[in-house]
Amino acid sequence: MLPLDLSQISVSYPGLLSPVLDIPSLSIVAGSRVVVTGASGSGKSTLVNILTGLEHCAAGGSIRWGGTDIAAMSERSRDRWRGAHIGLVMQDFHLFPGLSAVDNILLPARLSRAMQPGDPDRALMLLYAVGLCRAGQKVETMSRGEMQRVAIARALLRKPGVLIADEPTASLDSDSGDAVARLLIDLSVSNESTLIVVSHDPRLTDRLDRRITLSAGRIASDREHREMAA
Amino acid sequence: MTRFILADLRRLWAGSLVVVLLIAFATALGVAVTLQERALRLGSARAADRFDLVVGAPGSETQLLLSSVFLQPSPLPLMPGDVLAKLAADPRVSWAAPIGFGDSFSGYPIVGTSTALTANLSALAEGRVFSKAGEAVAGAAVTLPLGYEVKPAHGLATLGGETHTELAYRVTGRMAPTGTSWDRAILVPIQSVWNLHGMAAHEDDHDRAAEAGGAHHAEDPGHDDHADGHEHAHVDPDAPLDEHWTAKTPGLPAILVKPKTIADAYKLRQDYRSNGTLAVFPGEVLTNLYATLGDAKRVLSAVAAGAQILVAAAVLMVTVMHIGQRRRQIGALRAFGAPQSAVLMVVWLELFILIALGIAFGFAIGYGAATMLSMMLSGESGIVLPVGFIRDDLKSLAVIAVFSAILALAPALLAYRQSPAAALRA
Repeated sequence: MLPLDLSQISVSYPGLLSPVLDIPSLSIVAGSRVVVTGASGSGKSTLVNILTGLEHCAAGGSIRWGGTDIAAMSERSRDRWRGAHIGLVMQDFHLFPGLSAVDNILLPARLSRAMQPGDPDRALMLLYAVGLCRAGQKVETMSRGEMQRVAIARALLRKPGVLIADEPTASLDSDSGDAVARLLIDLSVSNESTLIVVSHDPRLTDRLDRRITLSAGRIASDREHREMAA
Repeated sequence: MTRFILADLRRLWAGSLVVVLLIAFATALGVAVTLQERALRLGSARAADRFDLVVGAPGSETQLLLSSVFLQPSPLPLMPGDVLAKLAADPRVSWAAPIGFGDSFSGYPIVGTSTALTANLSALAEGRVFSKAGEAVAGAAVTLPLGYEVKPAHGLATLGGETHTELAYRVTGRMAPTGTSWDRAILVPIQSVWNLHGMAAHEDDHDRAAEAGGAHHAEDPGHDDHADGHEHAHVDPDAPLDEHWTAKTPGLPAILVKPKTIADAYKLRQDYRSNGTLAVFPGEVLTNLYATLGDAKRVLSAVAAGAQILVAAAVLMVTVMHIGQRRRQIGALRAFGAPQSAVLMVVWLELFILIALGIAFGFAIGYGAATMLSMMLSGESGIVLPVGFIRDDLKSLAVIAVFSAILALAPALLAYRQSPAAALRA
C-alpha cells in the first residue's frame, strides 16, 4: 500500500493556452479507494499518466508515492519503479494477441527481467481469482469481459502497492462490467493495494471511498463517499 | 521475450513472409552472380589447366584457345604440317599432339588427334585407344556404347552438314572424365580426318592442304565441298595408324604441346611466336578473357546491388510504417513496466530475425540457382563448373549480417524514443 502526495502538478501542451492538468496539491491515503470522474477532456487520463509516471509534469512539481518522488527519476528507473509498484488496467485491455492468458499475465515481468520463482503459480492463482480457468487459452479467442479479467490479473501479478484503472468497465456489457468492478475492489482489498479508478460507471463510483471530480484540468470537487452516503 | 516475438511474427506471418522472400530473392541474386562467375572462372581454368601450350597459325589467341581447349567450332587458319614434326622431335617437348576438327556426330565434335593426346589427357575408363584409321575413343560424357558405329557428319549435324559415307568409326574405348570440353568429344586418328577431307600427306602439297583444310576447319556446313575442289577419298578403316610426322604432314589448325619444364614452356612459346606460328599459354589467354568477364560481372553485381538497395529501402519503409501502427502496443508494453531496452530489443530482434532468415534463404536459393545453371552449362560444354563457397564468403556474410543488424536498429530506436503516453493516446 502506497500513499500519494502530489504538489505543483502542471501539464501543458504546445499550442494550448491553459494547462490540461493543474493540481497544486493532492493527497491520497495508503489503502484508500478513490474514483476520479469528470467530463471528457477534463484531464482524467492525463492524471493517470502523471500518477504512473508515463507523462512528465512541468519543473517544480513532485509526485510522491510513499516518499519516492517519481518526477525526479530517470526514464529508466521510472519504468522499473512503475513495473514494480503500479498495476495498470486500461479500457482497451492491451493484451497481446498470440499469447495465452497466463503468458500475457507474465509478459511484463518477463520483459522487465523481474520474474520471481513463484510468479507462474501466482499467475494461475490470480487467473482463478478473476474467475478464469483456461490458462492456456489465447487471449484473442476470449470475450471482452474475460480479456479485462486477464488484464486485472496481469496488473496484480507483482503485488503492486497501487492499482490504477482507467475506465475499466467502459467497453464492457453490464454483466461483465459488474463482475469487473467487483473484482477490482475485492482484489485491491485482498492484495492491500491503493485503488485509483477513473470511471463514470456508478457500479464503481458508488462503491469507492472517495470521489474526485475534475473539470478543465482542475479539481472541481473532492468528497468522501461515506459522508455522501451517510 | 522469445515467446512474445514469435507470437508477434506468427500473428503478422503474411507480412513477415513477404519481407523474408524479398530479402531472400535480393540476396540470392547477388549470391548467384558471385558463385556463377567464380564457377565459370574456376571451371574454365581447370579445363585449360591440362593444356600447357597451344601452337597454331597466327591469328586470334582467344580463337585458338576457344577452338583447341574448349572445342568451340570456329574457323582457324592452318599452319604447315612440319611444325608438328619439329615439335615432336624437340627435346624440350614431352609430347605434342595435333588436333583437327571439321566433323561431328549427334552434337559431339569429332576431333582428329594422335595417341599422344589419348595417352596423356586422361586414362581410359574402358576399352582401348584407337589403333586403326577407323577406330575412335569417346569422351566420358559421350553417351555411345563401345562398338558403336559413328558416321561423321560434316560440320555440325544441327546445321545440316552432309554425312560422310566413306568411313564409319567404331568406338573402341572411353576416356575417364576430365571435367573439360574434351569429355564431349569423339577422338579419332587425325590421319582419318585428313583422308576424309582429301588432305592426306601423300596426295597434297602444303598449300593445297591449307586451303582445303581451312575451309573445312571453318566448320562452315553450308559450303559446297565439291565445288571447293577436294574429293572425298575412300578411307580404309583397317589402315594402320601413321604417326610419323614429317614435312609432308598436312596443314593443321592447332597442336597441343606438353613441355618438359616451365623454362622449356617459356622458351617454346618464344620460339613458336614467329615464322608463321602462334604459341599461347591457355592460362594467360584466359586471364585476358577474365578481364572481360570481370567487367560483365561488375555490371551484374551493380544490378544485384541496386536490387538489394531497393529491397533494403522497401523493408526499412515497411518496418517504419509497421512501428507506426504498433505505437499503441509499444506504449502499452512501456506502461506495464517493460523497460525501454526491452522494447528496443523486441523490435530489433523481430526485424533482425526476418532479415537473417531472408539472407539464409537467399544464400540457399542463390547456391541452388548457380548449381542448376552450372549443371545446364556443363551439359552443353562438358566443362565442369564447380559451384562452391570460399572462406571470403563468410566475410561477406558477416558484413551483410552486421549491416542488416544496424539497419534493423533504425526502427528499434524509433520505438525506443517513443513516449509511452503519446503512444497510448494514438
